[in-house]
Amino acid sequence: MYQQAAWVISVVFILFVIFVFLYVVAHSGQRAEYEPIQKKGYRIRNVWFLVVIAAMGLATFYTLRDLPFERPAHAADPTVVQVEARQFGFVLSRNEFRVGEPIAFQVTSVDVNHGVGIYDENMELLAQTQAMPKYTNTMYYTFEKPGTYQVLCLEYCGIGHHVMTATITVVPSQEGEGK
Amino acid sequence: MEANVRKMTALYMFVSGIAILLMMVLGLLMLLAQGKMIPLGQDTFYEMMTAHGTFMVGAAAFAASAVMWYFLRQYVRLSFPIFVTHFVLFLTGAVMTAISIFVFRFAGAWTFLYPLPAMSAGMWGKTGASLYLIGMLLIGVSFLLLYLDTSRAIIREYGSLGHGLGWPQILGKVKGYGPPPTVVASTMVSIVNLVSLTVGASVLVMSLINLFQPSIEMDPLLAKNLIYAFGHIFANSVIYMGVIVVYEILPKYTNRPWKSYKIFLIAWNMSTLFTIIVYPHHLLMDFVMPKWMLIIGQVFSYLNGLPVLVVTAFGALMIVYRSGIEWDMASSFIFLSMFGWVAGVIPAIADATIVINHVMHNTKWVPGHFHMYMGVGAVSMLFGFMYYFIRGNERKIGYADMVSFWVYTVFFLSLCGTFLLSGKVSAPRRWAVHFPEWVPYDRMGAVFAVVIIAAVTVFLYRFFVSVIIVQAKQNIEVGPRA
Ligand code: HEM
Ligand SMILES: [Cu+2]
Repeated sequence: MYQQAAWVISVVFILFVIFVFLYVVAHSGQRAEYEPIQKKGYRIRNVWFLVVIAAMGLATFYTLRDLPFERPAHAADPTVVQVEARQFGFVLSRNEFRVGEPIAFQVTSVDVNHGVGIYDENMELLAQTQAMPKYTNTMYYTFEKPGTYQVLCLEYCGIGHHVMTATITVVPSQEGEGK
Repeated sequence: MEANVRKMTALYMFVSGIAILLMMVLGLLMLLAQGKMIPLGQDTFYEMMTAHGTFMVGAAAFAASAVMWYFLRQYVRLSFPIFVTHFVLFLTGAVMTAISIFVFRFAGAWTFLYPLPAMSAGMWGKTGASLYLIGMLLIGVSFLLLYLDTSRAIIREYGSLGHGLGWPQILGKVKGYGPPPTVVASTMVSIVNLVSLTVGASVLVMSLINLFQPSIEMDPLLAKNLIYAFGHIFANSVIYMGVIVVYEILPKYTNRPWKSYKIFLIAWNMSTLFTIIVYPHHLLMDFVMPKWMLIIGQVFSYLNGLPVLVVTAFGALMIVYRSGIEWDMASSFIFLSMFGWVAGVIPAIADATIVINHVMHNTKWVPGHFHMYMGVGAVSMLFGFMYYFIRGNERKIGYADMVSFWVYTVFFLSLCGTFLLSGKVSAPRRWAVHFPEWVPYDRMGAVFAVVIIAAVTVFLYRFFVSVIIVQAKQNIEVGPRA
């Protein structure tokens, strides 16, 4: 979902920028006095500045409310899973979960830096954190659909980086137990 | 003297140009491998990836530093022997890293993230790793020397680095314009790179010690912070050096002034500060980092976009608008570079947003944005400079060049598009072998890369041939002294 948003926003803005640059090229031929252009330009720039600042402010306000490293409210008592990354594989203390079960992945590494990325069946990246030697990053995630998920290494760790995968199975939530 | 300066500058541009071309070929090979069109061993892939990253950033920075030097010397007294030393030291370091990669199979990536150089899982040994780290150290020292000299010269001419950044004008103590834009930009780059290179050198030395004395360990999170601080600042400095071409050339082509008025100076001061402090946006997925640092990483990355979006790019648009500018290769590349910079900032800002980074960090989205920023932005500045450098020889520059320019523009943007699309569908970066879902984008990218390489060959051929002719004419221009 965020991927889609990033893509659409980027494409729209880049097209806008292309338009502006081409517009200026198209109007570059006939020479006019600079002073009036500067005067008008600075006025436009002030408006542009306010627009950019406002857009950034709004984006900051909305996106900082939903930080992935904070424990979500519904995950007060999560299932704790140890994830240990090493060249070149993952060891998960558990790899079968239920839909709706809040999980806290406690991620670390025994050798170099790795990454833990959780992919769904459509190979869409859902969540990630870094796996670091000597540190434990806690990543909260709650699966919404049953299925087979994959873990891919998301930090370059050497020659076997691309073979570093693991699987996670998510089964439907049981009656009364699912949240 | 002037003849020597021109010769040396031409040499810088030529060496970097050839390196960039060769690395583009490696880029093509990587795409062909990911697209399953050629069999490339995974070890070879990661070696190429390491070489491509190291030498692209290295060569672009190397060339950009020559551009900065070339123009800055109009205003301050720079040391030519240092310019030559920088060249020699850099090449020595580059040769060492090349040997470490292609002979000793070092493939720890240009980020040499601790403790990977010392823990290769058997792919490379201590010799390879130490050669790479020492080579990088030499490269770092070569740049350090250059920036020490530029700082010294700026301080001597203007009183202090603060004066170079126009503080008296910003504070209203002195009326009128600040130092010429070239000086302001050079001051900014000198400051940020003295920081980045010191940080980089210290982490390189610590990695080297750890390599030979594994019991002496570094904190891996500290190492990561240092490495990304170095890498971010240094890679970004390329475009801040390159933009000097824009400040020097556009006023000449449009016959309009580009002055250091107050907002311009404020923008450059913002860039100086933000470029140094935004690097935590590379560590947004390290949840153990202090929360405030990650939030700074996001908020200041946004703000870091302001100087270019609102001041620099806007200034370039304004100076060109209804100016009667002549569109030749140099001015076209310069204008393109401003576009590439702005366009590349957009996906970068998106990715600096923590919630987006959570699902796009280390996907191909990241090379997507920095290829736009580097390839369409910074490298265009370098090509623009090369064409500016050989002007006076226009008779020879013709159809093939202009066609190549448009080919480069369109296909480089398309190449970035394939990277961004791969990122959108969650393809990780730095994977030697791709899942079938991602292969179509790699194949498209490979086709675009072939065309880009052809265009770049034309640019370099023209530069090479023309430099020899212009050199023979000893056609020298001396800039004014401030
Ligand atoms: C024809 C042009 C180019 C092609 C085909 C190309 C291709 C590639 C490819 C395939 C990768 C690896 C992507 C992955 O992680 O899977 C890459 C990475 C990279 N490229 Fe390029 N590239 C080109 C031009 C450039 C330019 C002009 C620059 C900078 C001046 C550059 C800088 C880099 C850097 C810094 C990396 C990161 C290496 C790493 O992940 O360690 N590239 N490029
Ligand atoms: Cu890994």
